[in-house]
Amino acid sequence: MIAALELVNLTSGYGSSSVVHGVSLEIAPGEIFALVGKNGMGKSSLLKTILSFLPAWDGAVRLDGRDVTRLAPFRKRALGLAYVPQEQALFQDLSVRDNLRLGLSDDRGFEASLAAISGWFPVLTARLSQRAGTLSGGEQKMLIVARGLIAEPRLLLLDEVTEGLQPSVVDRLAEVLAETRRDRGTAMLLVEQHLSFVLGLADRFAVFKRGEVVDSGRVDAGSAERIDEHMRL
Amino acid sequence: MRDRGSALRSMASVPQPGMPNWLIRAGLPALVGAALVVAGPWILDTYMLNILVRALFVAIAALTVDVLWGFSGTLTFGQSAFFGIGAYALAIGFTQFGFGPWQALLSLAAAVGMAAAVAGFVGWLSFYPGSTPLYASVISLVLPIILVQILYSGGSFTGSSSGLVGFESFDLSLEGWFRLAGATVIGALVVASVALSSDAGRVLSAMRDNDERCTYLGIDTSLVRIGLTVITGVVAALAGFGYVGFSGVAAPENAGFVFGTQLVVMVALGGRGSLIGAVVGAVVIEVASAYLSSSLPFVWELIVGVAFVVVIVVLPGGLFGSLRDAATALRGRIGAAPVLALSPVTLATLERAAVAPDRNDVVVEADGVSKHFGSLSVLSGVSFTARQGELVSIVGPNGAGKTTLIRCLADGRERSEGTVRIAGHAIARLAPDRIVGLGLGRKFQAASVFETLSVADCLRIARVKSDPPSFVGASPLLALPAAARAVVESSGLAERLGEQARFLSHGLKQALELAMVLALEPRVLLLDEPTAGLTRTERQVFAGVLTELVARERLCVLIIEHDLDFVRQISSRIILLHRGRVALDGPVADVVDDPLIREIYTGNNRPQRGEVMS
Repeated sequence: MIAALELVNLTSGYGSSSVVHGVSLEIAPGEIFALVGKNGMGKSSLLKTILSFLPAWDGAVRLDGRDVTRLAPFRKRALGLAYVPQEQALFQDLSVRDNLRLGLSDDRGFEASLAAISGWFPVLTARLSQRAGTLSGGEQKMLIVARGLIAEPRLLLLDEVTEGLQPSVVDRLAEVLAETRRDRGTAMLLVEQHLSFVLGLADRFAVFKRGEVVDSGRVDAGSAERIDEHMRL
Repeated sequence: MRDRGSALRSMASVPQPGMPNWLIRAGLPALVGAALVVAGPWILDTYMLNILVRALFVAIAALTVDVLWGFSGTLTFGQSAFFGIGAYALAIGFTQFGFGPWQALLSLAAAVGMAAAVAGFVGWLSFYPGSTPLYASVISLVLPIILVQILYSGGSFTGSSSGLVGFESFDLSLEGWFRLAGATVIGALVVASVALSSDAGRVLSAMRDNDERCTYLGIDTSLVRIGLTVITGVVAALAGFGYVGFSGVAAPENAGFVFGTQLVVMVALGGRGSLIGAVVGAVVIEVASAYLSSSLPFVWELIVGVAFVVVIVVLPGGLFGSLRDAATALRGRIGAAPVLALSPVTLATLERAAVAPDRNDVVVEADGVSKHFGSLSVLSGVSFTARQGELVSIVGPNGAGKTTLIRCLADGRERSEGTVRIAGHAIARLAPDRIVGLGLGRKFQAASVFETLSVADCLRIARVKSDPPSFVGASPLLALPAAARAVVESSGLAERLGEQARFLSHGLKQALELAMVLALEPRVLLLDEPTAGLTRTERQVFAGVLTELVARERLCVLIIEHDLDFVRQISSRIILLHRGRVALDGPVADVVDDPLIREIYTGNNRPQRGEVMS
């Protein structure tokens, strides 16, 4: 089977110091992959390199077998890659509705998307005409997630998606992501500190340390302990 | 490993005692400049000297643009107006009253006075609390246009469109003018570079990076910006005064916005943020324009324009900025780490009187606080109090109004109704910097630090209000209150004091911001989701720091947090906000086990955020 995402020896960095050192990994279609590790180890930088926000110095990024290493971010988006960033990357002065519409390439599917969103995060559909900047921090996070999901991507990159969400919404989010994978076969790469959340979802995990994958495997009963051990070192 | 290496290297570059850093940095270029100024008249022909004198006065105006744009982040097209005020003060004075010592003094006083008054007014218009940087730029465009209109309509008093000419002026030889202009430029460069690289000057960079953070460190940024507008306005007026004193012609072009834009171009060409770059840019453009305009009268502007575009595309940092970047890159290749500070920073602890261990004054009082956005009510009638030595967690569903409540406590202009008292003082409609003065510290949800400043400078900015900084030189000593120092040392920031804040990881930035807020020695500490994105180990360290602060310093901490296990561990009390109202307020055990919490907040599962990885 052709991998939804394949990284081959991917290397990148800022200025003259490299932050991601020769990372290779594969994510199958419909697979959920967890990338865990301490802060400042280059996890977010890896996502940014996959997206071309940070240029790759070496190695390759392949989406569905196609080499997209040097494609501009918007072209990757057209190939079915969506991204939920850690920062509150919203159009603060646009309404919730318009922010969501920007997640779609055309307006035709918007009504259907709204129905889906009201199932995921009802608080958003109650506030469609409100300015996104006036939403609370957690609501903005929900909006960013919803915007990524309605694009129906083939591969979704999520960076610290539970940050600032109340516990019951975190639980709901786990269900939503699991349903999306089941119904649409969406592959996902999650960068996450919330271990119980991510291990409840993921099929496989990798531990990232100083820009490299130092351990990886299938998620099972012993994974949490195995990851904890890496974190202590 | 890299950290330790860089610390050692920065040790090695310690200057000799008695020779402050700033003196070396400003002294050498000043000596070279002085040599050029002395030797110039012997080498250069009359025509070139003539052009250079004008260019040097223009360079001073360009220098003021660089200070405003490159250092404080305000793009201005209006410095030409101040240049014009100085130019016309002299021309009108000498035309009306003739030339003489007292006329000269009077004109000079008029130039300084007018420029200061106009700059004060324009600064107030541009930087009143709540204005945006774009607003200041637009006003700076309008100012020279208005001034030129006034000059046009001034009849024979201002000389209208042909300007003023034919007045008697200073009797100084060409060589004398050259040396005067050169010495003035060098003097302005030395003063500017010493002041800007001093601890006080660093405040400008901090404001450029993050105005809001400055405000919440108690700095009245509007006042600083207005002050800077006045100083740069007066300096530009003095440059215009000298320019017309030499040339004997004051024309509306000296005050117009085309000239104002040219000044911006000069700075961009030379390198925004590099003082010498601004001077070089001004001299290069003035000299090139003078030669090209006589030999190629119609195409020279096109040539200058194309050259400008080429430089900006090929060397985005400008001529001098790119040189500096190349030097940095070369140093990077040789192996030195990116360390900003030239000399090592020594940490010290500020002694302060111990807080009585039983102090429990009420330091936060909210009474009927409401906040409406149009018809939407985010908070309605929130009332509670909090005492010293209490750690109160504010929990609630997303959108319950938690962050809004923090904002209403920290900024007097935020709430729609109700009263707030901090440490016994009603905050009325005070701006955040004044409330910080009452003893409040606020840490934002997303780490808010000064990205281009070093870690040590970020911390120093936090001490600006209590320890007035020096205008000459940077102190090698960083004296912090014990609590702030403890965070700096336990987090590992102590080994990275010389590094730029933007290279820190998410967790370290959070720690840095906390240390900055603690450096204010607040009595009330507001924390908005401080553990978001932190690992379990980092959370545990943080919990220890907080409980220690509350116990030892008798701080009152209000914290917004979603991790209920963490909340349970650290809090003395919990307030549950729901739909903008206080739904529960009580001891930890009562609130956490209340059915309402499960219904609206945690859902059916037990809280399990504690399983966040270590």
